[in-house]
Amino acid sequence: MARESIGRVHFSLGDAARLGYDHIKRRWSRAAINIASIALGLSFYATLVLSDTFYGTYERLGGSQLSVESYQYWLVGVALVVSVVGITNAMLIAVYERYKEIGTMKCLGALDRHIILLFLVESSFQGLAGGLAGFLLGLAAAVASTGFTTGFDIALKVPPLQMLTLFTGSVALALTLSMTATLYPAWRASKLRPVEALRYEL
Amino acid sequence: MSYDYVIELRDLNRHYTMGEETVKALDGVNLEIKRGEYVSIVGPSGSGKTTLFNLIGGLDKPTGGSVFIDGVDIAQLDAYELAWLRCRKIGYIFQSFNLIQVLTALENVALPTVFAGVPREEGLRKAQHILESVGLGTRVHHRPSELSAGQQQRVAIARALANDPSIILADEPTGNLDLNTGMEIIDLLHGLNKTKGLTLVAATHDLKMIKASDRIVWMRDGQIERIERG
Ligand SMILES: Nc1ncnc2c1ncn2[C@@H]1O[C@H](COP(=O)(O)OP(=O)(O)OP(=O)(O)O)[C@@H](O)[C@H]1O
Ligand SMILES: [Mg+2]
Repeated sequence: MARESIGRVHFSLGDAARLGYDHIKRRWSRAAINIASIALGLSFYATLVLSDTFYGTYERLGGSQLSVESYQYWLVGVALVVSVVGITNAMLIAVYERYKEIGTMKCLGALDRHIILLFLVESSFQGLAGGLAGFLLGLAAAVASTGFTTGFDIALKVPPLQMLTLFTGSVALALTLSMTATLYPAWRASKLRPVEALRYEL
Repeated sequence: MSYDYVIELRDLNRHYTMGEETVKALDGVNLEIKRGEYVSIVGPSGSGKTTLFNLIGGLDKPTGGSVFIDGVDIAQLDAYELAWLRCRKIGYIFQSFNLIQVLTALENVALPTVFAGVPREEGLRKAQHILESVGLGTRVHHRPSELSAGQQQRVAIARALANDPSIILADEPTGNLDLNTGMEIIDLLHGLNKTKGLTLVAATHDLKMIKASDRIVWMRDGQIERIERG
C-alpha cells in the first residue's frame, strides 16, 4: 500500500441523522427525559411570551392594559439554565454508557468530528421535539391563565405572522439550548481513544 | 507496489508508567507476517496479546518501535489516514463482539460501508450478501440482543469483512463462546483465511484455534518467547 493510495472516510449529515434516529428510537427513555427537560423549561418561556402577546393583542383590540411581571422573566431564565444543566448531565451519562460503542465506531473508521456530529444530531432531534412540545404546553398555559380576562379565543386574534415568529423563536431557542448542552459531552466522547473506550466494561 | 509482508513489527515497545513503576506490556517485539498467513498469538494472561492487537490495529500508539502495514509506517499517518486504514484495511473482531445494540445485524454490517463512502443501497446489499455467506441470511433484521452469542460473533465477523480488508485482527474471538459454537467460528475464520486469502492474526487461549494456524507466536512478559510452525 503506497501512502498515496490512502483515501478518505465519510459520514454525512444524513448518515448521522439515520443513526441518531435509531438511537433515540431504541433508547427512548433517555431521550424522553431530555425532551421533557427542554419542554418544561421552554413551556415556561412560551407561557410568558405568549401571555404578553395576548395582553398586547387584547389592548390593541380595545381592552385595558395588562402585562406580565418582569421578575417572571428572571424565573424563566433560571428554568432554562436548569434544563441545560440537566441535559448536559444526561448526555454525559449517555456518553459514559456508550464508551464501547464510540470505541467500536472509531475502529470502523469514525473520525472525532463524526462522533461530535452524531451526538449533536441526536440532541437537535431532542431539542426540536422538546421545543414543539414546550411551545404547545406554553400555549395551553397562556390561554388558560389570560383567558378569563382576554377571552379564551384570544390566541386566534393574534396576527398569524406574529404567532409564527413566536413559534419559530421558541423552537430555535430549544434547539440552541439542547445543542449547547451537548457540546461538552460530545467533545468528551469524540476525544476518547479507541483503546480506552474498548477496554471499558459497563 | 506490493510488499512481501502485510504486517511488520520493528522493536515494538509499549510501556505504561504508573507512579514509580513501569509496566512493559510489550518489550522489543519483532515480527513479520506474510499476506494470507494465519498467525495465532498465544500466552498467559497479561503477556501482552491485547496490547499487540491494539498496536497492530492502529488503536494505540507504541512507546517505541514501529508498525508497518503494507509497508507504511502507521505512526506517519494523520488522523484521517489512520481512520481510513481502520475502515478499509483492517477488520476487527473482539471477544465481546462489540456490536452496536440499537442497530440490526444488517445495519451493523453495513456501518463500515457508510464510513467507506459506499452508497446506502449498495452497502445494504453487500451486508445482506456477507451475512448470507456467514450463515445468517434469515437473521438480518434481528438486533444483537435477539441473537445468540455465536450468531452475534458471526455478525461481528461479517462486519469485519464489510470493506474487504486485507487483514483480520481477532482478540480472543471464541472467548465468550461454548465449545461447539467456538469451533464453528474457528472454521468460519479459517475458511475466510483460506478461500479469500485474508491475513488472520488472532490472540487466543483456544487450543483448537491454535491448531488451525500456520504459525504460533508464544508471548511471555511482553516478549516473543518462541515461534512455532502450525
Ligand atoms: N492501560 C494500561 N495501564 C497500565 N497497564 C496496562 C494497561 N493495559 C495493559 N496493561 C498491562 O500490560 C500487560 C499486558 O496486558 P494485555 O492486556 O496486553 O495482556 P493479555 O495478554 O491480553 O492478557 P489476557 O490474556 O488476560 O487478555 C499487563 O501486565 C497489563 O496489566
Ligand atoms: Mg487480552
